[in-house]
Amino acid sequence: MGQLTFALLLAAMLATPPVAATEHRHDAKPQAAKPTLAVGATLDGNGRVWLARVENQQLWVSSSSDGGQHFSRPVAVSSTPEDIAANAENRPKIAVAQDGTVLLSWSQSLPKRFTGNIRFARSTDGGRSFSAPITLNDDGRIGSHSFDSLAIDGAGRVAVLWLDGRDRDAVREKGGTFAGSSVYFAQSADNGAHFSANRRLTEHTCECCRTALTWTAEGPVALWRNLYGSNTRDFALANLDSGKQRRVTDDEWRIDACPHHGGGLAVDARGALHLVWFTQGKTRQGLFYKRIADGRESPPLALGNPAAQAGHAAVAAAGSTVLLTWREFDGRAYVVQAMHSTDGGASWSAPRRLAESAGAADYPLPLTDGARALVVWNSASEGVRVLPVQLGAPQ
Amino acid sequence: MIHRLLFGMLAALVLAAPAGAGGPAAFTTDSLAKIKAQYAGRPFILNLWSVNECSYCIAELTLLGKLAKTQKRLPLVLVATDTPDYAAAMQKTLAPLGLGGVDSWVFDDPIPERLRHAIDPSWYGELPRTYLYDAQHQRETVVGVLSEQRLRAWLRKHKLAN
Repeated sequence: MGQLTFALLLAAMLATPPVAATEHRHDAKPQAAKPTLAVGATLDGNGRVWLARVENQQLWVSSSSDGGQHFSRPVAVSSTPEDIAANAENRPKIAVAQDGTVLLSWSQSLPKRFTGNIRFARSTDGGRSFSAPITLNDDGRIGSHSFDSLAIDGAGRVAVLWLDGRDRDAVREKGGTFAGSSVYFAQSADNGAHFSANRRLTEHTCECCRTALTWTAEGPVALWRNLYGSNTRDFALANLDSGKQRRVTDDEWRIDACPHHGGGLAVDARGALHLVWFTQGKTRQGLFYKRIADGRESPPLALGNPAAQAGHAAVAAAGSTVLLTWREFDGRAYVVQAMHSTDGGASWSAPRRLAESAGAADYPLPLTDGARALVVWNSASEGVRVLPVQLGAPQ
Repeated sequence: MIHRLLFGMLAALVLAAPAGAGGPAAFTTDSLAKIKAQYAGRPFILNLWSVNECSYCIAELTLLGKLAKTQKRLPLVLVATDTPDYAAAMQKTLAPLGLGGVDSWVFDDPIPERLRHAIDPSWYGELPRTYLYDAQHQRETVVGVLSEQRLRAWLRKHKLAN
């Protein structure tokens, strides 16, 4: 055997990972790069679609004036890279005020497990440049701050809300026990130029489900998965200004685990609240929608095919249009389903299969300005797709 | 001759270290069948966890680690729902808990639903989650944190307690 052959053999052996008896084993990498398929999107008052996505530890913003067929060249929000949570229930949020101010919030992951910061930046020049990101959580601790949500009234008021571990940490440091997490928020009255000090909305919430926030005529209203009793994880709704809070689901999901499956919330022009949520409770199991209007709640409406793991629904509303979308897995591919109402949630279209992807994919995001309805969906093989939903009268 | 000898030594070296430092194996749609085959006629514990997404899992793994120290042959299989990129982080979590040498797997599919379906079609990804398989591989599902009491009772029932 010549020296060349030997060298080739050696090279081949080194290049081929060693194979275990039945399975290949993966080499340990020092730093794991999380997937960042989860995007943020919004529709502004001029019908422009805005997109916030994370790539290479940076947040990129672009927009489209043709309903998502073409997007502008993405602009990096910050020149300093950071770990931005953008998978599953964590995604960047984007909103555009009436004066064109572009507002962004996101959760930054810190190296210590389960720690992070809530970050905010804005653009006052139509998305050409952005303010240096600021950290909104003002406890000055390396702790758990995540699952942010962002809502604006469009005229200058801004609220950012998140799950916060500071109360739990404080109790545990004294040797006590503390169930769940807390919800904190910060507000601005000048389109995000300044924020008030953090306020606590509530203690003892589920730790790992997205929060939801929408701006109603009575101010910002939040939806989150709360802890009732020791471990019942049902949803609560509260107005941030009044602090008034109430339980809005009676599913009785008792579980000492992380569902990673939060709820969605939107308000229509008449002030009706539209909720979507997931549960595996004693009362009901699956994905549901309901409407709260004039103090009355509609009975929960089951969404999607439970055999296809229907989950992660989101809701958008404007005028009298309500758009629901969720994701299923049909055994072969992910499928995006959507259904809509043009009468404020009184009647509904049949669910429609909008798109599919056979690889890794984000959860779908609904957008509507009342006249138009779109679903934004990012997937590894197809990229970001903006899928139009025809708003015919419901069947 | 010398080359043949060197080749032999090299080959032996490569074959002797198949699993490296004992990183997790890739869990795919047929992995559960393989695990069951490995435990044919024997009870085992299938524990699902995540290094990245589940604070409750640490409490449960701490309990399992404690048991692994006293139970010489705890039939434990750990499956993490993270991605293979997290192999090092997994090992860093498991080793101090005394679980560094346990049969460990990690999800390896861009569509985790496919693997969840292969394990249990009614599982939406809540963690932790444990399946207690008896010798006939009938299983009990434990949703949420497994209590020490329940686990010890199960071990006694299956004559696995010391």
